Amino acid sequence: MGTRPPTLREKRRYILVSVEPSGTIIDRKDLYYAVCDATTSLWGDVTAAVIMPAVIASEGHYMIIRCRRGTERELSIALSTITCCRDNPIALRIVAASGTIETLREKIRILKTPDRELASSPECMFGEKLFQIDYCYGQKVDAIEKGFKNTNRLFLTKEDLEKL
Amino acid sequence: MKITDACVYPYPCGDSSVRRMALEAKSLGFDRLVTAGISSGEFYGIEVSNGILIRDTMVKDLISRVRQEKNSKAVISVQAGDNGFNRAVMGVKGVHILRGIQSADKAAFDHVAAKMAADNCVAVDIDLSPLISGRGIMRQRAIHRYRDILVLERRFEFPITLSSHARSILEMRAVREISGLCSLIDMDTPDVERAFIGVDTIITPPNPAVRVI
Repeated sequence: MGTRPPTLREKRRYILVSVEPSGTIIDRKDLYYAVCDATTSLWGDVTAAVIMPAVIASEGHYMIIRCRRGTERELSIALSTITCCRDNPIALRIVAASGTIETLREKIRILKTPDRELASSPECMFGEKLFQIDYCYGQKVDAIEKGFKNTNRLFLTKEDLEKL
Repeated sequence: MKITDACVYPYPCGDSSVRRMALEAKSLGFDRLVTAGISSGEFYGIEVSNGILIRDTMVKDLISRVRQEKNSKAVISVQAGDNGFNRAVMGVKGVHILRGIQSADKAAFDHVAAKMAADNCVAVDIDLSPLISGRGIMRQRAIHRYRDILVLERRFEFPITLSSHARSILEMRAVREISGLCSLIDMDTPDVERAFIGVDTIITPPNPAVRVI
């Protein structure tokens, strides 16, 4: 099927989302399956076919998701029901919606991408357990329990570690 | 009037500290959190209220427990049971919220319990976790129960609270996302706004126009 002229093409909308926990890099294909699963589960096959969700770009922990114009509300509700992607617990935070990808790319450039800060110490104690600091930005500190199995991830702040 | 998430579980029940949850709540548009097992305070401009959840008790024990916590200024919630239990809970002075109505018996909350909730200013909690993380029949059942409760709420006008029951910052949702999720259960924007400030309504019930002396 050839490319249609612009007046005959379907109008699309693009939604910019950030993936939590910060610093998580997710494969586009995995996220596409998670989005499709959430959309179909919530709205059913018929509405999912109308929404036509697709993950079309990723920059760092930002993702751009496409849908048909007029179905942004349905897609955003479906996105808020995504809790994991390939068994990794995640949350998608909607940042902006636009009619062009370029506007969202500009938005990503404006938004400061939280880079990893060097923590004062790579390890910390919390609740009598030893944790390795995985991510540190501003007040936020993400720590992973040290060990071979049952390594839990904790979401803390710098103040929590100072209080200990 | 503060936009409130009526129940979150910080560390040690969950994997996020209360400060981190407050930080996240601030970025998501909330003004207050009701937390389980954490003493009241203020973190990063977010008011954190202590919440007490009483479950699996007889009415007699419930009354004595509520009496113990009378001066603690905590938000006292009770897990819903059968119809008789729920009616009894509505009559206990000091109980603020009835929770877990989606997992209770189908006839657990009827028009009599709704009238008592309105008279005694006891809120019914809408737990959003089955809508967020539930799939299939579990989510369908929750939607059905919440729609049924909202029919009674429109008739009797008892308070409603919204809670994410988040055990992690990843389970918390923004105010706008919660409004979207509430549209699934036929709540329009004024309903959602009223539900967000439901905790304010139950903590400071309006003074009666006429006082019997």
